[in-house]
Amino acid sequence: MFKNLLHNCFKKSIWVYNTNTGACNGCDIEVINVLTPYYDAERFGIKLVGTPRHADALLVSGPVTRQVVPALKNLYDSVPDPKLVIAIGSCAMGGGIWYNSYNVLGGVDKILPVDFFIPGCPPRPEAILYGVAVALGLVKKKVAPVTLKEESPEKWLKS
Amino acid sequence: MLLSKLKEVWICLKAGRVTLPYPFKPAPPPDGFRGKLEIDKDKCIGCAGCANVCTPRAIVVTDLNHDWRRIDFYLERCTYCGRCEEVCPENAITMTQEFETATDSKEDLHISVELYMGTCGRCGRCFTPAHPLDKLMVTGFRE
Amino acid sequence: MLTGTQLISDLITNFDGQITHLEETAPGKIFITIEPETLTPLADYVMNNLGFRFVVNVGSDEVQLHGNYVISHIFSHDENKLFLCVRVHVDPANPFIDSITPLISGANWAEREARDMVGVHPKNHPDPRRLILADDWPDGVYPLRKDFPYDRKPPSQPKNRVKLKPPPEGAKVVPIGPFFPVLEEPAYFKVFVEGEKIVGCDYRGFYSHRGIEKMGDDVLTYNQICFIAERICGICGFVHSSCYCQAVEEAGGVEVPPRAQYIRTIMLELERIHSHLLWLGIAGHIIGFDTVLMQSWRIREPVMWLCEQITGNRKTYGMNLVGGVRRDIPKELHPKVHETIDKIEKETKALVNAILGDTSLHARLKNVGVLSKADALDKCVVGPVARGSGVNIDSRIDHPYAAYDKLDFKIAVHEEGCCWARTLVRLEELFEAIRIIQQALRDMPEGEIMTHEIEIPPNREAICAVEAPRGEAVHYVLTGSENRPYRWKVRAPTYPNLQAVPPIIKNEEIADVPIAIGSLDPCFSCTERMIVVNNKTDEETWNSQDLIRLSREKTEKIKKMISGKSNHV
Repeated sequence: MFKNLLHNCFKKSIWVYNTNTGACNGCDIEVINVLTPYYDAERFGIKLVGTPRHADALLVSGPVTRQVVPALKNLYDSVPDPKLVIAIGSCAMGGGIWYNSYNVLGGVDKILPVDFFIPGCPPRPEAILYGVAVALGLVKKKVAPVTLKEESPEKWLKS
Repeated sequence: MLLSKLKEVWICLKAGRVTLPYPFKPAPPPDGFRGKLEIDKDKCIGCAGCANVCTPRAIVVTDLNHDWRRIDFYLERCTYCGRCEEVCPENAITMTQEFETATDSKEDLHISVELYMGTCGRCGRCFTPAHPLDKLMVTGFRE
Repeated sequence: MLTGTQLISDLITNFDGQITHLEETAPGKIFITIEPETLTPLADYVMNNLGFRFVVNVGSDEVQLHGNYVISHIFSHDENKLFLCVRVHVDPANPFIDSITPLISGANWAEREARDMVGVHPKNHPDPRRLILADDWPDGVYPLRKDFPYDRKPPSQPKNRVKLKPPPEGAKVVPIGPFFPVLEEPAYFKVFVEGEKIVGCDYRGFYSHRGIEKMGDDVLTYNQICFIAERICGICGFVHSSCYCQAVEEAGGVEVPPRAQYIRTIMLELERIHSHLLWLGIAGHIIGFDTVLMQSWRIREPVMWLCEQITGNRKTYGMNLVGGVRRDIPKELHPKVHETIDKIEKETKALVNAILGDTSLHARLKNVGVLSKADALDKCVVGPVARGSGVNIDSRIDHPYAAYDKLDFKIAVHEEGCCWARTLVRLEELFEAIRIIQQALRDMPEGEIMTHEIEIPPNREAICAVEAPRGEAVHYVLTGSENRPYRWKVRAPTYPNLQAVPPIIKNEEIADVPIAIGSLDPCFSCTERMIVVNNKTDEETWNSQDLIRLSREKTEKIKKMISGKSNHV
């Protein structure tokens, strides 16, 4: 899997804009960490830009609070097509701990169409790099729903 | 002034190239890392202690009828605090080292466990599974 | 030297007959209940005659306990290590209270918050606008009242948008925010300029208000709140969870094992190291020194790996529970800790040596964003902002907690009040933190790390303060029944520090605004506040890209000026 990555090597370089819709900052610090020398996303061409008009992807963290909703919608509209929305952290995925608080809508997918989710609280920088690779179609995702069911005891009862 | 600039350049050069080889080589986290949950259905007794302590209330227990209990883990809200692993009396929940969990759909992070429960003769509510002998074979003899 | 007993007898002498209840719950923590009319004279007396500092104001709905709302004013005396909590009962049928903002302007936001959350209106408040709740939140709905369920979402009422102050004559308006790449959280500053100089500003915020206190009061149990407290802020999360645990332990009379105290101290200082290195990087980025950003974050990374090894996660450690800590730092890990912090000390010294002599940095930071000592005392600022302006306060000495009373360390204080002074304070604290960790590892006793059998009786109050990297964080807890608190109040350090923004940026240039605000090290999610400002259509709008560009252009100009001067010499 990693050798494929070596070959494809993030051929399509994307520019991202990071935004925080009321989060604790943990996920945002990890996003900025991805640019620092140990993880260095810039070698793949991923750049953090200062304005949404230059961005290809939107990295959103935070459970969406009531105040932020109009600003977030404006932000989404100002990113030119084609665009990707990636939700980072458990707050952006489903609201996290405060999913049903009075001031929180509970997850970015209630407002914007989200393309990819990166869970974690906060996710490691490696997990964010992996998530961006999944978003660009370079690796396949690993998780799938799990259903575990105990056997019904009827088989002993009949014997 | 020039001296401080030279000192800064020296610091950068001395550090050298520090970039980690991830994603070309795997980067396993240290022992004790709290990653994605894994449930062993054979050990679970359906006590719902995990649902009691889960901080984002991501574990939901439903009694389907008087024989079957379902426990749903909505891991999209999981904050990886590890309290469920700590309080489980049977060590049925483990936090793995898995952190590469990005996905395009929230349903990929659902775990659902269905257990056959015995019922209390007096109040009719579910409790531990019907066959303690089966359970002993999985957990072994203990005090 | 004023002790708790002396304070009590002093208050009884001067305010005889007006104090209805008085109790010293723990050494140095005094709670009194007074008649509403006594509030202003008592506040004046304790602040101006006895030298107390205003901390925060807690609004609480205690109708279920005794039929009234309660507003508690918390004051702190730093030299004598005292906390004084002045409770005033307010009749729900007539919810008004005297405002103490005319006495001390640091109380401005706290009183508006009590009005927004519980509905008790401060009389004679100079600025009674809405502070916390969303623009479209309906009137008359107060979330912290017990009859408001925590998950109700009232319908939208858009005409409640807060009107910001109009600019003075001849001034233009420059909106900054809400999404600004330098300050990670959404915040909105409305800055009034004449030419290039700033003449005033207004701030409307609280985008990150997530309803934490309501969830703590109504939904979560004592141990679950430790985790939500950690997620108040991603950078200083351990501070909030420790402070909360300490407050509950004090209220419940729980004895924490000494080894757990030392472990908490070590994790708190590790957090201080990584937070200050983070700030250094962000400050460098604002000015245009991206080298400093990359290098200081590179130096900081081993701390995150160390924390991952000790606690299981790089951030939001999840180590604290009421009664102790969950994971130990065993002897095998001690060499790794020593190795990491020694390396950080060496590399930070090299980096600091390199940048201290940089004259363009001096020109950018010295005499920029000056906060005078008088303003610092009036706005009740805390942390490096206060210590950079000559106010010597630090919770580790003033209200000792964890293992700090057994360790030996110095506090850094500088008098100038500018961005450079605050930078020096933070750098000196970083080196002190390394020394504290070395002492704590050497002196850590053996033993248990958690007290297991815990019983927390209801209706006990406690206040606890912890020194976060940004300043003093204070938590107030009133215990309740059903294994959860009745009221939990968080006062984060950035709360008073943000109120100091107007005097800091007055008469500065626009290009200096990002670094002036950045030198406060604002952590908006701690304050749960965000302000939104609307821009009128005929204003010149400068977006965040322009402001960063301006800030960097100024650095280039200064560099050229300096190299031009040295050529002539």
